[in-house]
Amino acid sequence: MGERDGGAELGDHWLKVGFVAPALLLLLCVNVFPLFYSLWLSFTNADLIGSGAVQSVGTLNYSFLFMDPRYAEALRTTALFVVAAVSAQLVLGYGLALCLQERFRGKAVLLTLLLVPMMMPPAVMGVYWKLVLDGSYGVLNHGLAFLGFGQPQWTTDPGLKLLSLLIVDVWMWTPFMLLISLASLNAIPTYIYEAAAIDRAGRWRVFRRITLPMSAPLVGLAVLLRSTDALKQFDLVMAITGPNDGATQTLSALLYQVMFRDGKVGMASAYSYVVLVVVIALASIFLRYLNHLQRRVGTAS
Amino acid sequence: MKNLRWVLLAVYGMLSTLPLLWLASTAIKSRVDSIATTAKFIPVGEGLGIEAGSVRFEATLEGFRALGEIYAGAAHPYYHYLFNTFLIGSLSTVAAVSLGTLCAYGFSRFRILGERDLLFFILSTRFLPPLAVVIPILMMYRSLGLPNTHLGLVILYTAFNLSLAVWLMKGFIDDIPAAFEEAALVDGYTRWQVFLRVVLPRALPGMAVTAVFCLISAWNEYGFAMTLNNRDAVTVPVYFAGLQGNVQGMPWSQVGAGVLLFVTPIVVFTVLTRKHLLRGVTFGTIKQ
Repeated sequence: MGERDGGAELGDHWLKVGFVAPALLLLLCVNVFPLFYSLWLSFTNADLIGSGAVQSVGTLNYSFLFMDPRYAEALRTTALFVVAAVSAQLVLGYGLALCLQERFRGKAVLLTLLLVPMMMPPAVMGVYWKLVLDGSYGVLNHGLAFLGFGQPQWTTDPGLKLLSLLIVDVWMWTPFMLLISLASLNAIPTYIYEAAAIDRAGRWRVFRRITLPMSAPLVGLAVLLRSTDALKQFDLVMAITGPNDGATQTLSALLYQVMFRDGKVGMASAYSYVVLVVVIALASIFLRYLNHLQRRVGTAS
Repeated sequence: MKNLRWVLLAVYGMLSTLPLLWLASTAIKSRVDSIATTAKFIPVGEGLGIEAGSVRFEATLEGFRALGEIYAGAAHPYYHYLFNTFLIGSLSTVAAVSLGTLCAYGFSRFRILGERDLLFFILSTRFLPPLAVVIPILMMYRSLGLPNTHLGLVILYTAFNLSLAVWLMKGFIDDIPAAFEEAALVDGYTRWQVFLRVVLPRALPGMAVTAVFCLISAWNEYGFAMTLNNRDAVTVPVYFAGLQGNVQGMPWSQVGAGVLLFVTPIVVFTVLTRKHLLRGVTFGTIKQ
C-alpha cells in the first residue's frame, strides 16, 4: 500500500467519513440498536399482538428460562448437532482434500461439481430433502432396499430425526471444509516435502509432522466459522421436522416457538439474549483467531 | 492407496450429486411417478407403455406447467414469489455492494481511528443469529410499517450483507496499486474523481464477484423472510416451506420443477465465480 492519507488536508477528513459512515450507520440502526432494544424487551412482558401496556417484570423472564426444561433440552440438542455436524464435515472434507491434493485432468471441473451443495438454499433444500428421505417413496430408502438394508423412517422416527438433519447438513457443508482444507494443503510449500523425501521420511511421518500441523491453522478457522453457523441452525429444522419437535428443537427453533407460536416477546428476548452470549463468545474467539492468523501471515510476508 | 483415493472420490461424488440429479428427474415426472414406491430414474418418451414397477417413467413438463397455477395453501403462483425474491435480492445486492465498496475504499486508503476494531465489528454482525435479532427488528419494523414489504427485507438484507461486501471489497481494493491514484491526484483530480474514474473501473471485477455472493445469500435467506414477510412480499424459500402440510399433499413434481428453476442461477453463478469461492465463503480472509 502506497500513500495513506497522503494529502492530509482538512477536506480529506470529511471525505473519509463520507466513505465509511453510511455503512457503519446502517449497521448501527439494523444490528446494534435492535440488540439494545431487545435487552430492554427481555425485562418486560411484551407480547406479539401488542395487547395491553408493556410493563417491566424485572428478571422474571430470565428466572423462568432457567427452569424451562425445553431450554436445557434445546441447548443439549444444539450442542450435539454442532459437534456431530462439524466433526463429520471436518473428517470428510479434510479426507477428500487429501484425495484431491494431486493435479489430474478434470480436477477443476470435479471440484466445482463437489462444491455446488454449499451454495444451495438450506430452507428449500430441506423441503426437497424430505422427498429424498421419505420412508416409503424416498430415493434413499429405495437405495437401501436395493442393497438389502431395512427401511428406516428418517423423518418420523424420533430417534432418527436429528440424524436426518445431520445428513442434510453434512451434504451441504462438507464442500466448505473441503474447499478450505484444500487451500490449506496447497499453501504448504513443496520444498518442505522435497526435504522430507531426501530424509526418507515415511508417508505417515510426513503427514503427522508436516501436512497436519501446517494445514491446521486454516482448518481451525473453517471449524470456527462452521461452528458459529451450525449454532444458528434453523432452516433445516423448520423444513424437515418443524419448530416444536422435541427431538430436533435447536435454540433457534425454540426461539421461534416462544416468539411466534407462544407470542411471548419479552420471554423470547430473554431466551435470545442467552443464545447471543454463546454466539458472541464463539464469534469473538473466531475474530481473535483470525486477527492472530492475519498478523502472523502479515509478518511472514 | 491410489485406488482407495479414487474409490472414495467416486463414492462421495455420487452421493453428493445424486440428490441434485434426483431433483432434476423429479421435475420431469408426473405427480404419480414422483412418489412411486420403486425408484424411477430412466426418463422415456410419451406413449411407450410402462409396466408397473419399472424403473422407467414418462417424461412430462406437467410440473413446470403447474408452476403457473395457484396451489392449495398459497395465494399466488410460483412466479409471483420468484419475482419477489428477484426484486428483493437484486435491490439489496446493489445497495450492499455500493455501500460496501465505498466503505472498503475508505478503510483501504485512509488512516482511520480504530480501523481494525471497526472492521472486526463489521464482520461480527455476520454472526448474529437471525432468530435472535428478529424480535426487536420486527417490533421496530411494525412502528415503521415495514413488515410484509419489499423495502423491509431489502434494508435488512443490505445490512446483513454489508459485512461480506466490506470484507470482500477491502481484499479486492487492497490489491489495486495505489500508484494510479497518486498519479491522478498529482494531475489535479479530486479524491472523489479519483475514486470514480481510477479506482471504480479497476474494482469492477471484484464488485461483480461480491455481488454474486450477496445475491446468493439474499436469494437463499429464510429466517428473516419467514418471520417478517409471511403475508406479502413472500420469497420463494418461504413459499416452498409454506406448501408443507397443506390438505392436498406436497405437489412433488411441481416442487421439483420450481426448485430446479430456483437453484439453476446459483449453479451457474457458482461455476462462473469458481475461482473466487474460497474468498467468498471466508469473507475474503483467505486469498489464493
